[in-house]
Amino acid sequence: MKFVRLIVFGFLALSVVYLCISLYSRSIRREKLEDEWDANPPADATPDMRASFIADGMAVYESGLRKKLILLVYVIPPLIVAAIIYFIN
Amino acid sequence: MRNFRRTIRILMFLIVGLFLHYVMPQQDIARVTSTEIIRTDFSTFNRMFYAQADSGSVENPTRDLRLINTERKATYLFGLIRGGNETMVFRNEDTGWIYPPYFKFDSSDLQAESAASISTSEPQQWVVITHYGWRVRWASIYPNAVSIRDAESEDFRPFPWVNLIIFIAMIIGLYFLRAMWMQFRERTVDPLADKVGDRMDHVSADMSERKGRISRWLGTWRKK
Repeated sequence: MKFVRLIVFGFLALSVVYLCISLYSRSIRREKLEDEWDANPPADATPDMRASFIADGMAVYESGLRKKLILLVYVIPPLIVAAIIYFIN
Repeated sequence: MRNFRRTIRILMFLIVGLFLHYVMPQQDIARVTSTEIIRTDFSTFNRMFYAQADSGSVENPTRDLRLINTERKATYLFGLIRGGNETMVFRNEDTGWIYPPYFKFDSSDLQAESAASISTSEPQQWVVITHYGWRVRWASIYPNAVSIRDAESEDFRPFPWVNLIIFIAMIIGLYFLRAMWMQFRERTVDPLADKVGDRMDHVSADMSERKGRISRWLGTWRKK
């Protein structure tokens, strides 16, 4: 029963962590794209061009490896727990 | 106000520090003198300083408790200073699946190992007992032994690698949390606050203008 509780609450806690990290990572990426555009915008830049540049960059991020790496949040803690169980017992 | 905040901060620091001191593993150089099992009736106060029944069994208000009686090297200042010998009694309980996260299920095996390393005659055999918790005599609270291994000698000083790793991980985690919070403030809260502040300014400007209009209108009724 305790094991079930660990699984359920552990999963909930990790989901919160996952959500926070993915929001953070997305925010960082967007900020970087904005900074990159603002550093040297083309001469005839319009706000629309800036928005589409950022949208393209975010689309690349959404399908990239970096985003999938955040899923490690669900992998590493169980591995740590397994390692602890192995070494303690 | 500043004193109040300082007090709260010190209190928080103390609570977190005491908690960590309770749950973090510590390694003692000890010599097992005997092992025993006593029946234990918990009080509501000292119940929280005990784990639960063995992880496969059912919880009852009263149960047997495995104890490991030892003589150990006294340590002070988080193990930096070594004193003479003193008596120490460890309990030996499963921590089970939840808290504290040692995931220890092998109390019986540990009891067997410690019984095997009982050493009362010369040459004495010293062991490293990893444990967490405190010995509080007036409340009958014992530290929980987690594992036992042979010590090279009586003066062996084990290095707390596990604690080091946990502390580094916690510091990294705290910095990460702080970075996340700053990012959230910079990108979400501040723009929102700016917007709200802007609107508030508009509203108050509007209000004062309206008030001005009303008082001017009232003024027309006053005697000149």
